[in-house]
Amino acid sequence: MGPFWAIVQADLKGLFRSRITYGWLLAAVFIQVIRTLGSHGTGTVSDIVSSGLSDFVYIWALVLIGLSASSVSSESGELADSIMSKSVTRLDYVLAKFASRIAYSLVTFSLVTAVLVGLCLKLEVGSYDAAGLIAAILLVALALVTLTTLGVGLSVAMPSSVTAIVALLVLWYTMTVLFPVAELGLLSPGNLLSLLPGLVKGTFSWDVSETAAAFAAVSVASTALSSAYFYTKDI
Amino acid sequence: MTNQVIEAENLTKIFDEKLVAVNNLSFSVEKRAIYGFLGPNGAGKTTTIRLLLGLIRPTAGDVRIFGERMTPSSSALRMRMGYLPTNPKFPPKMTPITYLDFVGRLFRLGSEERKNRLSELIRAVGLLGDSAREIGGFSTGMLTRLGLAAALMNDPELLVLDEPTSGLDPSGRKSTLELIEELGKEKTIFVSSHILGDIDRVCTSVGVISQGKSIFSGTIKEIKKSIRSHSVRIEVEGEMEKLCTALKGAKWVKGFEKRSDFALDIEFDPSTAMADAVKETLGLVSAQGLDLISVSSSSSSIEDAFVKLLRDEESRGFLRAT
Repeated sequence: MGPFWAIVQADLKGLFRSRITYGWLLAAVFIQVIRTLGSHGTGTVSDIVSSGLSDFVYIWALVLIGLSASSVSSESGELADSIMSKSVTRLDYVLAKFASRIAYSLVTFSLVTAVLVGLCLKLEVGSYDAAGLIAAILLVALALVTLTTLGVGLSVAMPSSVTAIVALLVLWYTMTVLFPVAELGLLSPGNLLSLLPGLVKGTFSWDVSETAAAFAAVSVASTALSSAYFYTKDI
Repeated sequence: MTNQVIEAENLTKIFDEKLVAVNNLSFSVEKRAIYGFLGPNGAGKTTTIRLLLGLIRPTAGDVRIFGERMTPSSSALRMRMGYLPTNPKFPPKMTPITYLDFVGRLFRLGSEERKNRLSELIRAVGLLGDSAREIGGFSTGMLTRLGLAAALMNDPELLVLDEPTSGLDPSGRKSTLELIEELGKEKTIFVSSHILGDIDRVCTSVGVISQGKSIFSGTIKEIKKSIRSHSVRIEVEGEMEKLCTALKGAKWVKGFEKRSDFALDIEFDPSTAMADAVKETLGLVSAQGLDLISVSSSSSSIEDAFVKLLRDEESRGFLRAT
C-alpha cells in the first residue's frame, strides 16, 4: 500500500475518532428520528425525506465546511513537513486529502440518511418511487461532494484555516441563497433542494440532470485546479 | 562517482519577492560526514533545510542530493533521507506504534519490515514503556525521540536534523548527541543548530550562515584556526598585582587586561612563538609564588569563532554599504 492510502486511512481514522464526529452523528440522527416520528401520520415519505436531506445543505454543511476547509491548511508547517519529507509526492498528499474528506462526508451522510429513510419507510406508506428516492439521495450526496471539494480546494489555496472556512461559508451560502435570484440556479444547492420532493415521487426532469452535471463539473474543476496549484506552491 | 552527498550551488530563496531568506548559498557535504550548519536564529537554516528536502523550490540555484537534482517531486530521493524538524508535530491521537507504522507506509515499507523496524526503533529511543500511549500527552523530549525514530524508519543514508537538541533537558541533550555520534559512523548527517557546543562536540565539518549567506565552510579545526589569536587567559590564586608588575617588563607581552581578581587576559608579541610566550609567562607565575588555576586560549571555543565570524561579516557588510 502506497503513501496515498496511508494518508487516506490516517486522515479518516483521525476524523472518525474525533468528538466532532460523535457529536454531529448523535445530533443528526436524533433530529431525523424526531422529524420522522413527529410527522407520523401527517407527512409523506417525499416531504419527510426532502426535509431531512435539506438539513445537510443548510445546517450540517457547517460541520463539513469546518472539516474540509481546514484539511490542508491546518497541517501546514511542521506537520506537513513531517509527511512531505517522506517518500510522498505532492499529488499523493493532496489527492489523499480530497479522497478522505469526500469519503468522510459520504459515510456520515449515508449513516444519517439510512436512519431517516429506514424509519420513514417503516412508518409511512406510498408517495414515493424507489428509483426517485435513490436519485434524490445521490443528488444531495453530490452536492456534499461539491462542498467538500470546494473546502479542500480553498484549504489548499488560502493561507490559514480561518480564512478558508470564512471563504467557504460565504461561497456556499451565497450559492444557496443568491444564485437562484441571479439566475444561476443550476449551481445552487437551494435550487437543488426544490427538485427533491418531485424526484422522490419519481418525477425526473431535465433540471435534475443539468444540476447533477453542474455540481459534478464544479467538483472536478475544484479538485483539478487546487491539485495543480498545490503541485506548484511552496508548502 | 561523486563523494558528495549534498551539493548546494548558488542557492537563493526569496519569499513573496520581499524576504531574502537564503542568498547565493553554496556548500557541499561529503559522504559519512557529520556536517554542522550553524547560524543565529533567523539566519535561514530551516529554509535551507526545506530546500534540501524539496519542500520548497529555490528562487535561483540548485540542490543536488546523491548527485541528483532535488525537486518537490523527488520522492525517490527522499526515500533515502531522514528528517527531524525543529519541534516535530505529530497527530495527537496516534501512539508511537501507529505513527511509526504510518511513517513506514509513507516509505512504502512492507508490513513485516515495518513491524521489525518500529519495534527496534521504539526500543532504541527509549519509548518502549510509552509505545501504546497517545502522542498528545508526550513531553518535548519524548516528541524529539519519537521524531528521531521516525527519521530513521527508512534506514536513511542521509539524516537531516533541524535543531535536534532544542527544548531538551541536559540528559536528553546528551543522549541525543551520543545517538548522533553513533549514527554518524554509518550515515551522512546534516545537523543545524545555534547551540555551538553541540556542533563542536559531534560535527566533523561546519558551515556558518548569517542573514542567508554562507560566511564559513570547513572543518571544526579550520574554523578555530581561522580566528586563532596570540593571546591566553590565565587564572591564578595569590597576589595578582605582583604578576601584573612582572608582566609590564616582559618583552614577549604586548599587553594584558585584568578580567577579575584572579583572571588575566594576556596578549603576546607576535614576534615571539606562542609556545615560548606561554612557557615564559608560566615561569613568571611560578617566580611570583602564585598558584596556577588554569590556562586557556581565549579563542579556543567555537563560540568565539562563531561570534568573530558574525562580527567580521557585519563589518564587511557595513563597509560594502559605505
